[in-house]
Amino acid sequence: QVVVPEEVFFTVAAAGILENLLVLLAVVRNKNLHLPMYFFICSLAISDMLGSLYKTLENIFIILCKMGYLTRRGDFEKKLDDAMDSMFILSLLGSIFSLLAIAADRYITIFYALRYHNIMTLRRALAVLVIIWMFCAGSSVAIALFSYEAATVIPFTILFPLMMFFILCLYVHMFLLARSHAKKIASLPTSTVHQRTNMKGAITLTIFLGVFLCCWAPFVLHILLARFCPHNPYCACYMSIFHVNGTLIMCNAIIDPMIFAFRSPELRSTFKKMFCC
Amino acid sequence: MSALSLVSNRTSQQALSNSDYTWEYEYYEYGPVSFEGLKAHKYSIVIGFWVGLAVFVIFMFFVLTLLTKTGAPHQDNAEPSGKRFRMNSFVADFGRPLESERVFSRQIAEESQSLFHFCINEVERLDKAKQTQRGSGLESNTHFQEVPKSSEVFEEDQNCLTKFNIPNFVNTEQNSSLGEDDLLISEPPIILESKSVIQSSHGILD
Repeated sequence: QVVVPEEVFFTVAAAGILENLLVLLAVVRNKNLHLPMYFFICSLAISDMLGSLYKTLENIFIILCKMGYLTRRGDFEKKLDDAMDSMFILSLLGSIFSLLAIAADRYITIFYALRYHNIMTLRRALAVLVIIWMFCAGSSVAIALFSYEAATVIPFTILFPLMMFFILCLYVHMFLLARSHAKKIASLPTSTVHQRTNMKGAITLTIFLGVFLCCWAPFVLHILLARFCPHNPYCACYMSIFHVNGTLIMCNAIIDPMIFAFRSPELRSTFKKMFCC
Repeated sequence: MSALSLVSNRTSQQALSNSDYTWEYEYYEYGPVSFEGLKAHKYSIVIGFWVGLAVFVIFMFFVLTLLTKTGAPHQDNAEPSGKRFRMNSFVADFGRPLESERVFSRQIAEESQSLFHFCINEVERLDKAKQTQRGSGLESNTHFQEVPKSSEVFEEDQNCLTKFNIPNFVNTEQNSSLGEDDLLISEPPIILESKSVIQSSHGILD
């Protein structure tokens, strides 16, 4: 059993929650940021916050159990455990669908640019977010209730790579378009930067998807192994690093605002205003 | 959670003194897992998984960088040339296409103001159509600075320009339909004011 020190756990969780809270505050306070693009980034921030919150609450729960304030096999604790499990799955599903929404929004911005403001109105963006979150809430409750059946584990683990693949396709298509236009710019006299910006685009894309994959895939594999081969010693060894997987998920909550929200200069200037004044 | 209960069950059989994460809500019991007689290393799944993940990410990165160097030939024919400046700024920063559009629009708006005066009737007509969505009109030039309205101004600019057949801009309209794949926004100024536009787009990139 690999143990992560408590201080590290709490620090990482608190940092994740704070950062995402700041992003939400900034978007709420600045009227210029009331755009569909920033609403999707907010949705990602909320799901990250839920993930970190879950881990913090679980830790507090364990400490309370150790100190003896809560009984260990009571009904109330089981229900609370179920509720917290569903919150965690809600966070994972919310993250996936928020990333999908952000990718789709950028895709529409590029390929349907003239009609973007007709296609992606504020009301439609909010409606899409409401639908996404209701679906995530419903399926998270269902998965938490029936977590011991194969029928829920398999769709859950298939959804994850499927979504990743779809998001990858969207971004690769956008990337190909950017590259082909950079090549066209090469004919103009003063354009020597396109090679560098294409490399930068490749790095950005790899970071987006690589971070999400590295942070969530260990946990998904853990669920698969716990369902299908719990007695196998190899699987058991993998499952012993469960807390490292949990810490990775909270690191994802810290990294996501950096690669999505803080890329926007408007949001950065809102932050500076919030802290300096 | 079932996974947590499994972990706790094994943990409770070991020393509990330094284990902070014992979770003892057990939905079902597992027997102890013995580590005797293993052919491969104990942590083989862990190592294999992480190595596989790293290989996949690096492979993805190399595929993307290869795409930057070589080309998919069918892509070059299909795309109109009008999107280039917009795409450059997008490549530099995936996160802010709308802001680059705003900087771009400010410049073009200043240059095409004289033409825009001809189009005021069109603007007012489109105004009424847009008011249902936005709740505010595009009465004056000062609104050019705002992001949500800038591309609407462009649409109206472009409509006006195609209607009036301004000789300076006719040459640039290779794909003159306002189809969904055409970013004619950047078409007109490219030939005439290409230098200033390139400088602005480079400013966005840096």
